[in-house]
Amino acid sequence: MNTSNSAADKILEVKSLNLSFGGLKALNDVDFMVIGRELLAIIGPNGAGKTSILNCINGFYRAQSGTIQFRGKSIHSLQPHSIAKLGISRTFQNIELYTGLNVLENLMAARHVHMKRGAFMGSIFFGPARREEIRHRELVEDIIDFLELEPVRKQIVGTLPYGVRKRVELGRALAMDPRLLLLDEPMAGMNLEEKEDMARFILDVAELRKIPMIIVEHDMDVIMDIADRAIVLDFGRKIAEGALAEVVENPRVVQAYLGEEDE
Amino acid sequence: MNNINAKNQPSLDTLPKLLRDNALRYGDKRTALREKDMGIWKSYSWQDYYEKVRDLCLGLVKLGFKRNDKICIIGENKPEWFWAELAAQSAGGVAIGVFTDCQAQEIKYFFEHSESSFVVCHDQEQVDKVLEIKAELKNLKKIIYWDPKGLWGYQDPDLISMQEAMEIGRQLNQEQPELYQNLIEEGRGEDIAVLAYTSGTTGLPKGAMFTQEYLVEGIGEWARFDGWSHKGYEYLSFIPPAWATEQALGISGALVAGMTVNFPEEPETVQENIREIGPHVLFYGARLWESVNSIVQARMIDSTRFRRWIYHRFLPVALKIADMKIENRPLSLWWRFMGWAAYQAVFRALRDRLGFSRAKIVYSAGGAVSPEIIRFFLALGIEIKLFYGATEMGIISVPREGEIRPETSGRPMPWAEVKIADDGEILVKSKYLYAGYYKNPEATAKKIKDGYYCSEDFGHIDEDGHLIVIDRMEDLKPLSDGRKFSPQYCEVRLRFSPYIKDVLVVGGENRDYVAALVNIDLDNVGRYAEANHIPYTTFTDLSQKVEVIDLTNREIRQVNRTLPEYARIKRFVNMHKEFDADEAELTRTRKLRRTFVEDRYKDLICALYGERDKLDVEAEVTYRDGRKGVIRTSIQVNAVE
Repeated sequence: MNTSNSAADKILEVKSLNLSFGGLKALNDVDFMVIGRELLAIIGPNGAGKTSILNCINGFYRAQSGTIQFRGKSIHSLQPHSIAKLGISRTFQNIELYTGLNVLENLMAARHVHMKRGAFMGSIFFGPARREEIRHRELVEDIIDFLELEPVRKQIVGTLPYGVRKRVELGRALAMDPRLLLLDEPMAGMNLEEKEDMARFILDVAELRKIPMIIVEHDMDVIMDIADRAIVLDFGRKIAEGALAEVVENPRVVQAYLGEEDE
Repeated sequence: MNNINAKNQPSLDTLPKLLRDNALRYGDKRTALREKDMGIWKSYSWQDYYEKVRDLCLGLVKLGFKRNDKICIIGENKPEWFWAELAAQSAGGVAIGVFTDCQAQEIKYFFEHSESSFVVCHDQEQVDKVLEIKAELKNLKKIIYWDPKGLWGYQDPDLISMQEAMEIGRQLNQEQPELYQNLIEEGRGEDIAVLAYTSGTTGLPKGAMFTQEYLVEGIGEWARFDGWSHKGYEYLSFIPPAWATEQALGISGALVAGMTVNFPEEPETVQENIREIGPHVLFYGARLWESVNSIVQARMIDSTRFRRWIYHRFLPVALKIADMKIENRPLSLWWRFMGWAAYQAVFRALRDRLGFSRAKIVYSAGGAVSPEIIRFFLALGIEIKLFYGATEMGIISVPREGEIRPETSGRPMPWAEVKIADDGEILVKSKYLYAGYYKNPEATAKKIKDGYYCSEDFGHIDEDGHLIVIDRMEDLKPLSDGRKFSPQYCEVRLRFSPYIKDVLVVGGENRDYVAALVNIDLDNVGRYAEANHIPYTTFTDLSQKVEVIDLTNREIRQVNRTLPEYARIKRFVNMHKEFDADEAELTRTRKLRRTFVEDRYKDLICALYGERDKLDVEAEVTYRDGRKGVIRTSIQVNAVE
């Protein structure tokens, strides 16, 4: 879709990233870029290092060597909350929400990074903090409308079905007004209908909010439908990169997924 | 008021004229429409309503809409739906409501049969369906949508948003400020306003024509008669506007009676929204009363022990008072006090929870409502008025205040006359009838005999002159000994059970007894299973559990006690799948399509009259997007002990 983007639109640039846990090499010299408004998929078999990449980008893991630049700024040594403030937000494979709060509160909590008033001002009903709260609530309501969460707005997240929680998590990531969105298996454990809904929401985000995304996903059918480009990992190494249709034909990719054929 | 000039006392014979009159009368002072959007209630005054309709009407005209043109509207209940209908009518056109869950081919039928030229769609889902068949719709001029979500990238030249259409209209209004007034003035009472397609339990849907006069006069008289005219009442709009009842209450009713119409945020949030509004006027279909009843029962099961104790202490008191009211016995001071105590202790809070805190005029119709339901809600202090009417004949009878009794639909309206034919069919004469079926004079003529409209309903009039409607004529079933019974009568009573969602009762000339296909209620039976530690996986699995079969058995035994010996249910099965409108087993208004269902499950029905107690079945299921799948399972055939 966005093949015409020049190198100037580099959103994220990852260069020779190395990450190891003890003797295990989780990432081995990985480099790639996110350009323009593209939807980049990271695919690969279990344990290939897909989630590790996301964890490096948002600062959960500290890579031993290599650089990560976000919009020209190195974020390699920053803390996760500082990276979030820069506009990188993510969802998790195993949903991480406040299960005791309702949907609205979860989304409002995500606006926290954008709130200027402190706890003291926030405790006063009138004045600037109130106006600020109203403005944030409006943005959050926009997201609720966008993700069709109205029926569960005031429901406790812990009581919601899995598929809906996944959607809430996407909403939480959107509420941070991200400039780059990292989605870790947004469709894992969903049934076909839920997957299609989620795919539609992701495409809508790309179209309406124009946010570049990195998606880690197992389900190749879905990825084929929504992603612009993919990189393929196997045992921490990047083994292929390019348009989806080419990537899945690549013999090394086939081999990684299906195992070696014995002759 | 800038643009509204009432020309010396115009006659109010059309809905657009009424809208203009209300805008003059109430202007910005009263709310006409209120919708929940972005989590808050947003109001439109009568002046806003009028201006929106004016702009959209002129927009339509500019886009090529002419007098007598037809417009199909597909969407959930939203102000835009109402604007679209009134805009079309202002331009002298006719509105056709299409159910939102109709598939593309069904939409095509409505569009082509009505000879429409415009389609108004709610959102992407509906637009996609129309685009799918667009090439086949020869007369299509424009597709107008109001919710742009997901449609940003669509490039179709015939697609236009309602906002754009209104903008076009606004410009035209500035160029020709008199145009809209002239268009309204050209409207006449005898103009066709709406084609209401009957849900079609038999054959293809037929379009019943409503004239402007029928809506303005007929509904107006109903509103005045039942006391909801111009009292500033609130109404919650959630029954599909494609249905004649919402046309009468929500659209015409609100205009003739100056009611405020409230729109829920989503179809799923009705229960929540109704509580926030507390409407005065309500219409719940029979099914909805049943589900509200199950909600109450289920909540009580989940409630604390203390609350349950109070509830079970006071419910019999309230039911006893309800019975006294039904039998018209005077209440002694003691019972009045007890009634007050019960209300304060339980029912005030319960009514508030259900959104009935201000409910004054409460209607129901459609499939018959179980007498137990009427009694239960009467105990809560809510008089459900079970009116008798139909798309074609309008409102025929309504129970007056204080004359609520289970089973009856009250005395005929002052403008209607009811006669019972020899075979028990209800015949009707009324000042306000529909104007016939569109393009189908044969079907229209067939319905009229000796000046009476044949309702095809079976019923009788009791000694107090109250009309009692039992069933559709065609749905009465004989047994092998020639005696007739009404399957629906049993079904309605069985559905009172919170554990039974749907049920098909069968019999026939060559059959000796009555049998039933039961569709359990997944939510409530699931809860029951949870409470009783019964593990289950799917709907199919749950339905065939021994404990669940026993549960159904108990419910049937209870209903059997109220039936004459010959009409009792002797054998039944728990269905392995739910009846579904997408598979044409239910109509869009959730009525069972008996003939179709009976044919589809003929093996099962055969088994009900056979010896075996087990049957292997294979059922094809259609998913919402049209894909098909197959369920294979083994079903228990059970005798009612």
